[in-house]
Amino acid sequence: MSETAPSSQRLSPLVTVLLLIGAGIMLMPMLWTLLLSFKSNAALMADSGSAFMPPWTLENYAAIFQGSLTTRWLINSLIVSTGSTIGVLVLSSLAGYGFARLDFPFRRTLFVIVLLGLAVPEQAVILPRHQLFAMLGLHNSYPGLILPSLTGAFGVFFMTQYFRAIPPELDEAALLDGASRLTLFWKVLLPLTWPAQATLGVFTFLGSWNDYWWPLISATTSDYFTLTVGLASAQMNYAQTSGLGFLMAQAVFASIPILVVYIAFQKQIVRAMAGTAVR
Amino acid sequence: MNRARRDALVGYAFVGPFLLVYAAVLVVPLLMGIVISFNNADLFGRREWIGLANYAQALSDPVLRQAFFNTLTLTLLIVPPLTVIALLLALALNRNTRLAAVLRGVFFSSLVLSVTIVTLIWRFILTPDAGLVAVGLQAVGQPPIPFLSDPAYVIPALAVTTLWWSLGFPIMLFLAGLQQVPGDIYEAAALDGAGRWTVFRRITLPSIRRTLLLVVMLQTAAQLQIFGQAQLLTGGGPGGASRTIVLYIFEVSFGRWELGYATAIAELLFGMILLVTLLQYWFVTRQEGDRA
Amino acid sequence: MRRVFALGLAALLAGCAPADDRPEIVVQRFFGECGAVYGASTDVANADTECGILTTLINRFEAENPDIRVKVNVVAWPGYPQLAAQMAAGDPPDLVTMHQSVISDYSSRGLIEPVEGLLAQAKIDPAGFTPAARAGVEKQGKLYGMPWDTIGRLFHINTELMAEAGLMRGGKPVLPNSPEELLAQARQFKAKTGKPYLIQAQVSAPDFMVAFLYTYLLAQGSPIYPDDRHIKLDTPEARAIVTLMRQLNTEGLTTRDQDFPAATAAFTQGKGGIFPVGTWMLGPYDAEAAREGSPIKGHYAVAPFPRLWGTAAPFVDGHAWVVPAATRSPQERAAMARFLAFLSRYNYDWSRTGQLPAFAAVLDRSEFKALPHREDIAALSRTGKQLPGYVERQSAVQGLIGEELEAAITGTKPVETALKDAERRVNRLYAQMM
Repeated sequence: MSETAPSSQRLSPLVTVLLLIGAGIMLMPMLWTLLLSFKSNAALMADSGSAFMPPWTLENYAAIFQGSLTTRWLINSLIVSTGSTIGVLVLSSLAGYGFARLDFPFRRTLFVIVLLGLAVPEQAVILPRHQLFAMLGLHNSYPGLILPSLTGAFGVFFMTQYFRAIPPELDEAALLDGASRLTLFWKVLLPLTWPAQATLGVFTFLGSWNDYWWPLISATTSDYFTLTVGLASAQMNYAQTSGLGFLMAQAVFASIPILVVYIAFQKQIVRAMAGTAVR
Repeated sequence: MNRARRDALVGYAFVGPFLLVYAAVLVVPLLMGIVISFNNADLFGRREWIGLANYAQALSDPVLRQAFFNTLTLTLLIVPPLTVIALLLALALNRNTRLAAVLRGVFFSSLVLSVTIVTLIWRFILTPDAGLVAVGLQAVGQPPIPFLSDPAYVIPALAVTTLWWSLGFPIMLFLAGLQQVPGDIYEAAALDGAGRWTVFRRITLPSIRRTLLLVVMLQTAAQLQIFGQAQLLTGGGPGGASRTIVLYIFEVSFGRWELGYATAIAELLFGMILLVTLLQYWFVTRQEGDRA
Repeated sequence: MRRVFALGLAALLAGCAPADDRPEIVVQRFFGECGAVYGASTDVANADTECGILTTLINRFEAENPDIRVKVNVVAWPGYPQLAAQMAAGDPPDLVTMHQSVISDYSSRGLIEPVEGLLAQAKIDPAGFTPAARAGVEKQGKLYGMPWDTIGRLFHINTELMAEAGLMRGGKPVLPNSPEELLAQARQFKAKTGKPYLIQAQVSAPDFMVAFLYTYLLAQGSPIYPDDRHIKLDTPEARAIVTLMRQLNTEGLTTRDQDFPAATAAFTQGKGGIFPVGTWMLGPYDAEAAREGSPIKGHYAVAPFPRLWGTAAPFVDGHAWVVPAATRSPQERAAMARFLAFLSRYNYDWSRTGQLPAFAAVLDRSEFKALPHREDIAALSRTGKQLPGYVERQSAVQGLIGEELEAAITGTKPVETALKDAERRVNRLYAQMM
């Protein structure tokens, strides 16, 4: 992290206290969820306040592994998010390099058309896209869930900016050495874009992981539900079936992988953001 | 093959894959949507050209009007506090102490949760029967507050939920912006004996102007499309008091099967977001122009 | 083009799955997900709740019919937006649970198929359906589904609190016979017990209020749907009913701000006297009333909605198994017929949930008669009234009416305005229909 002046200052006690209160507010809902998840459904039915007192139990977590679809949904979410991330990184890097470095007819026009995509909200395309994918038979499939996230104009814009910031002398030197465009791109420039890839990758992954509207209407059979949609269907049914404790255990279970990824990569995420995001 | 043609082919080879997906999955639906919005269309393929009738209906639809004001209120209740709180937190956390690092982690954490989990968590904070707030109020002998069913509370409840969920990303952006500010400017200011407030107003704020614009623009566009929280937490109730525009689009399309009308509303929302974004951009760049 | 594309993708994705040439049927249902409890169980007789009984039934069918592949798709109640999305995608399931009141939406557009052929193949005689069940699936002279039950609305009563309020006579709860009596008894109840007389789900539960309104409109002989494109709600009859509901709410004679789960729990916790909700809670509450330590242990009774105006003419609905229109192979149709035949044999087990059976023969079975409270409610399958068969879009319409009723009852809108708005919005919806 780059050193800037105020960052070396210590926090004043008042600010520290305020920050700690704020952190408490941030964490409280999660702790409450955790407490509820360790409580039997029957006890919560009588009084949810009982979550603060023992006995606690692991039965809700055990239930997740007995015949519930939660693990399947988790795998679906992982496949869709990973697929989206890889797809966006590949397409955006290629296009970003193309727009930044290569010359071809209609380059500017095409780039402007891509930029206009930044202004198109999902709402403007989601209904006709549902019709289109129906015609193509793409619903209830991984490609159907992944493809929409590959249209993000932001990735292309972001990578184009990044490639533009790399000194063009590098290319010229490599080309003089007889390298092909592809080698140049693959061997010389791409490694330099690692921080940008990390940033774009993390946000694509998060965005795809948390997407709700599209999987809600595209994944309509429970074996293609992503976690968001699967948990939503469970949430709306909870009174008659699973119970509050189970629901909360499901939520905790579903959040753990992404929290782990996030905590593991936290430093890189922030560094990548700082290095690249706002130029 | 001559050089220019070869270069052109290489160029298209690089940008082609993206453009293909972009055209097929974004541009085509966008154009389809415009056409559908001029039709009395149902979900199952029936189409009947009716010109602007869907748009005329939208302008006189009291439910859409209510949804529009709900969405606007939500956006206004979310974006300014979110921006200010995120900026303050970023200022406080932009330092190298261990505590700051831990707190950054805490404030970012909700960002990774999906909307389903966020609403699940908040339902059992807000609901008067089993929620954390009710449990707390009960402990001090107070009656529970019906956050999710009283028209006066339901919008603020959605706003608080969204604030809690969305805080992480703007903090990140601000931290990134703050770290771009060169340290020597601050040193110079310190030499001049400038106070904190002056430093913030004269140095920090102008330096992160573009980040600020980015945060406000992204958040406004996002909150104008708020959907999951309303659908999952309140279903738009009570009596439509928390129905948002996108929730209405969902109901009209998949509940009422009126695809044409739903698409027309979506196009209007698109126009609205575009307009607001351009206005914000214009407002900020005009001020920059004034300064220069 | 579309075929090739889909096939290509399918081949890409399914490249590693083993070949399976058994016919596959896709069964889509609501009633919740309870795999955690009933995941592998085939013990139908010992399963409880709608979810539990149906889950074990399907497990059992799979076990008894290894030559059929059953794919079960559980959707969030009521699952119609999802079904619409599937139909729009041209990829609907084979058998779907559907409320009888919404069948006409789909039948009038040819989105679901008549099932006479399938029923004949399954050797199910439609003459064996109860009158209410048959009325529910018969649209324009054709049968559009196998009825599965009849849902009535009941007063679920906490007799301990009723006794405390002085509203028990000869071991039976005293129920009102007019709106004035209802208010008087509710006030008496509240004064004596300090608790609300009614427990109601008012949040995100539009059908709840609508059932109340429909029941008493039907009782007064007020035509709700004069034709297939209009509703009539701006009437003195409707105003009287909604005004009563509002009165109950303003005086605190009913619980407020509860959603369905909260209201369900409130009744078992003894937080109010009467929970006017569907037959489906009969099974679960019976079980709860038999449980040691339950606040309603031994203090549970039910009755159909009491007559308040006009005649006793309860509004009923029901579930049915319908078949979305699609091309299917004879093997698939045979498998579907076997599934329906199997289900029809277990209609008694389903009636343990509290819903009334769709097959008249079950009503006469001694085990059904031996179920608690059934003699109090069995008449519903004869007297229950459905909406006219031409009425469409009940799912959306009930949402609209429910929303306006909510506004009227909680006092954000005058009763008259809310009913006018509801009428206008519903009529507009019908005018938009293609």
